[in-house]
Order: sequence, then C-alpha cells, then structure tokens
Amino acid sequence: MKKKTKVIIGMGIFCILSILVSIWYAVTFNDSRLVVPTDFKSYTFQTKDLPMIVSISLTCIYVFALFFIHLANNTKRTAKTNTTRKVNPKWGFLGLLGFLGFTGFWTYQTTGNVFAFLFFLFFGFFGFFYEGKMSGTFMDERFRENAAHAQLKSYKIIFSIIQITLILLCQGKLFGSLEYTLIATIIILSLTSALGIFLPEYLLYHYDHDDQLNDSEE
Amino acid sequence: MAEFECKLKKYRQLKDLTQEQLAEQVGVRRETIMRLEKAQYNPSLKLAVDISRAVEAPIEEIFIFPYQ
Repeated sequence: MKKKTKVIIGMGIFCILSILVSIWYAVTFNDSRLVVPTDFKSYTFQTKDLPMIVSISLTCIYVFALFFIHLANNTKRTAKTNTTRKVNPKWGFLGLLGFLGFTGFWTYQTTGNVFAFLFFLFFGFFGFFYEGKMSGTFMDERFRENAAHAQLKSYKIIFSIIQITLILLCQGKLFGSLEYTLIATIIILSLTSALGIFLPEYLLYHYDHDDQLNDSEE
Repeated sequence: MAEFECKLKKYRQLKDLTQEQLAEQVGVRRETIMRLEKAQYNPSLKLAVDISRAVEAPIEEIFIFPYQ
C-alpha cells in the first residue's frame, strides 16, 4: 500500500477515534452535551464542549479533504491518460430523484415551504447515463471539439430559456400573485440548471455516436 | 466548415495501413480517421501534418481545398 493511502486511512481512523473519545468524555463529564439533540437557539458555549467541537470539525475537514483528493486524482488521471473519467451509467438513475421536486407543491400547500422545488435539479443526473456510456473514451481533437460544441449549444439553449421565461414572468404577477411568480422562477431555474447538467453530456454522446452510425472499416 | 476533398483513404491504402493503425500513429480515434476520409471533419494543422508524415504524402495532396 502506498504511503499516501496509509496516511489517509490513518487520519480517518484518528478522526473516528477522536469522535468516540469526545463522545465518551461528553457522556461521562459533560451531561451528554452535543451528543443528544441540541437546540442551537439556546446554546451557550462551555469549555467542556471543546472536545466534541474539535473532533466534529476535524471529521468535517477530513471528509472535505477526501473529496478534494478524489477530485484532484481524477483530474490528474484524466490529464495523464487523456481519456474521459470512469463513470458507471447506473448513476444516471439518480436523476429519478428529480421527481422529488413535485413534492414542493405539497410542502407549499401544507407548510408554505418552497425548498423542495430545488430537487428538480436532480433531473440533471440523468446526464450520468450518457457520461457513463462514454467513460474511458480517448479524447482526441475531434472529441474535444464536439465537447466544446455540445457545451456551447447547451449554454445557448439554457440562457435562451431563462431569458424568455424571465421576460414573461417579469411582465406581471402570475395568477395575480407575486408569490406564485417567485415559485415559478424557482422551478424554472431548477429545471434549467438540471438541463445545464444533462444537455452537454447528451449532446456530446449524440454528436459522437451519430458520426459512427454509417461508419465501417474499409 | 470549409468543403474539401480528402484523398487520405488512397494514401493510407498505398501505405498498407488500416484505419486503426493510422489512428494510433497520429494519436486520434479510428472514428476521426473515418470522418477525415469522408471529408466530414476539418483537421487541425498539427493533425494534418502528422497524417501527412504517417502516410508519407504532401498535405496539399491529401486535403484538397478548392480556390475560392
């Protein structure tokens, strides 16, 4: 095992141990503060809370570091092998989470909360389906040209949709209600952002594979 | 995209190279060579030079652009 991997695993173990020790300390000497659910509106800092705060902060930093290390490794590997990143097309099923966005209509009716509309963003994950199909593809100049073309075309479509809908919505109140207008804006922005994630992958796959339909070795 | 005529297939066959072999030599995918041979892709200057060297033929004889 590489030294770097050992260090990462070691730091992970250290984070878990520090959390366990601080939980034990909090339960034994600090009335389980920050272990049991805490109401942060009435929270006041005490020195005895420090072990829990430090260990949780360390773990958060560790998780972020893991994410960035993974990202850096992926970028390095892509630059080295000149191939697209490896993605399983099954990740595309995450796009189904986008249907959770429809729960926004229910949460708005019951609690007045519009946050759930943001789940429409997950529709963008359907793009993994196409990215997965093209994972590990050698990126030659035509591939890069197609990728740039796909990206530009999707930006053009997205900005056109946003511009047209904003112009229409800014004409006045939707159904006579400013609140409905803002909700419609949230929905449109979420859906167009999802389109922005999905469309470049779809178009790239389309450009790359339509070329090959009639191709044969001669 | 500028229209042009491509004689790559002829020169490639003269050198007894498959599309795959040529693609590997010039560092592109086989599909790119296919598109080039059908004159459906306008290559970069570097790729054109690489191809010209690989099939040992002058660029202007492989890619023929009509005078405007």
